Amino acid sequence: MNAQTTENSPKIKRETKNKIRVEFERTSAWTRFRLKFLTGNAFWKALWWLFRLILLLGISYVILQPFYTKIASSFMSREDFVDVTVKLIPKHPTLDTYKAIIAESGYFTALLNTAVLSVSCALIQTIVCSLIGYGFAKYKFKGSKLLFFLVILTMIVPHKTLHLSLFMKFSYFDIGFGDWGLLNLLGGGISESFRLINITSLSLNNSYWPLILLSLGGLGFKNGLFIFMMRQFFRGVPDELEESAYIDGYGPMKTFFKIIIPISIPMMITVFLFAFSWQWTDSFYTTTFFTTTGPKLLPNIIMIPRSLDTDYAGKTLFETAIRNTCGLLILFPLIIVYLFCQRFLVQGIERSGIVG
Amino acid sequence: MTNTPTIKQSAAKKQSAPKKEAPRKIISLDKKKARAGWLFVLPFVIGFLVIYLPVIIDSIRYSFCEIKTLQGGGFRLNFVGLENYKEALTEDPDFVRILISGIKQLVFDIPAIVIFSLFMAVLLNKKMFGRAAFRAIFFVPVILSTGLIASIDASNIFNSHMDGIGGIDDGSGSSGVTEIVEMADISWLFSNMAIGTELMTYVTDVVNNIYNIINRSGVQMLIFLAGLQSISPAIYESASIDGATGWETFWKITFPMVSPMILVNAIYTVIDSFTAESNSVMQYIDQVYQKGGQQVVSTAMSWVYFIIVLLMIGLVSGLLSAYIFYQKRD
Repeated sequence: MNAQTTENSPKIKRETKNKIRVEFERTSAWTRFRLKFLTGNAFWKALWWLFRLILLLGISYVILQPFYTKIASSFMSREDFVDVTVKLIPKHPTLDTYKAIIAESGYFTALLNTAVLSVSCALIQTIVCSLIGYGFAKYKFKGSKLLFFLVILTMIVPHKTLHLSLFMKFSYFDIGFGDWGLLNLLGGGISESFRLINITSLSLNNSYWPLILLSLGGLGFKNGLFIFMMRQFFRGVPDELEESAYIDGYGPMKTFFKIIIPISIPMMITVFLFAFSWQWTDSFYTTTFFTTTGPKLLPNIIMIPRSLDTDYAGKTLFETAIRNTCGLLILFPLIIVYLFCQRFLVQGIERSGIVG
Repeated sequence: MTNTPTIKQSAAKKQSAPKKEAPRKIISLDKKKARAGWLFVLPFVIGFLVIYLPVIIDSIRYSFCEIKTLQGGGFRLNFVGLENYKEALTEDPDFVRILISGIKQLVFDIPAIVIFSLFMAVLLNKKMFGRAAFRAIFFVPVILSTGLIASIDASNIFNSHMDGIGGIDDGSGSSGVTEIVEMADISWLFSNMAIGTELMTYVTDVVNNIYNIINRSGVQMLIFLAGLQSISPAIYESASIDGATGWETFWKITFPMVSPMILVNAIYTVIDSFTAESNSVMQYIDQVYQKGGQQVVSTAMSWVYFIIVLLMIGLVSGLLSAYIFYQKRD
């Protein structure tokens, strides 16, 4: 036995601490090369490889080209828009557009406000959606199917349908619906001397409350999708994990926070990033709940700075470029986040395994 | 004769004996579990009852009412019946036209997006040079081209002017692809093949809207990728041992295995594209909303739209679920 292994074992050529180089018989390099690359099959494979590469490069170009045009045009000066020879590279590069927008639109205030809003909403949404998703994935109870259908319903009702009623709901905030609200009944419904609270309704517009309340209820932007994703993810978590926790005397809540949360951090990061970036670029809720008198948010900075607002030949182009520059300024923090976190995003849905 | 019933009885007794004891325990555990389940989904239940349900009911109510804001704060509703719907469907000059064209667009987009994303997912699933980079790039639009940016892009007259290379549509509407198509005389080819002009216009439309389609198929692609990765490699291995070609493998293995994802993606595409900012119907509804005094009409319009799209989701899932193959899992 021992002798055999020493006989058959390859000859050691060189041995260092970590590496070992051994000698063994192989088919010659030329034969290997011929068999691998000089057959008809290999030719078609190479052709297919080339075709695929070109296709992927082309589509990548289609995706990235508009970004390039935006970036290039944001550095162009006024003359460049009149000059027909200027195509993709600015001839007189300038930072004037950026300077004017940042100076006149209150960019940094808007950035800060939006960051606070997005981070808080995304955090709440992540936690709430994972709680709800866990409930749907691991517990069977009466009405769970109906409830899940309602989750899907919140996903498919377009938010434009609810535009007016959402606005009304939070301008005259009340618990209950229509005239039969709790505040209305307590405050206005009964005669004045019996009033418990001195307000008939509460306007929550121009504050962060509408969005935070929506997030708390798992009703924020695309939260149905997040709940769905979390549910699919938790379905893949083996039940034995919880069972062993139960045996150790943990309750469902403690199990969730001590056992399940730690193993689902990557998935939660994915959901957080989705929630964060969609909230960041959201224009529906921000235009519904915030007016010009409210806190300045990123959608408000899309405007033409007064110092750049002049009549000249390339005006329409120039204004489009300015608007695009505003867009770039809005996107800038997101791009940085994306560069560092894209692997979470790309792996996230794969990990959740939305299968059937 | 005498023996068998007793055996049966005893067997029945044996079976029923643990059942008699078990029920209380099982039910209590079930109840416990159900309570925990309710606890977990409680945020949604409360949110739905306190915010969402009233909002939906109000929205339906508003679509039947005329709204008047009072000066001291608050508002008054006057019930007007189907007046708003009548105005949306018969009096408004553009709504029906835009609605029909929007739905037509949606019908065209669903197969294009689903097929494209399946194709790209199959391409990106193979191990290859730069796969991670390509995946990252293909996913850019999901994050960066939504909401605000999409609405900026929607009014971008810009790329057509600045585009130095030409030939590829950049979301600006007018594109060079049409020229290429004309140059290559694809239309002539199609008409000679007697395929019919509808298919030809469809194909050229898809090519023209490639930017749009790529932009909107990011999530779908990922869903397909997830599905593709869940297929066991053993199946492919046995197929290749049996001598199946790549083409056969795709149609006989990959396609049936990802067919549940096709349904998911078709429905997701419908939902995603009809709630998108760039959707023409949505834009029109928004325009009407902003006009002032017309908010209730816009609400009525969006309910009409919602019902039509709901019908469409039903239709799509009904059509597709007949052809779906579900792998049995245990």
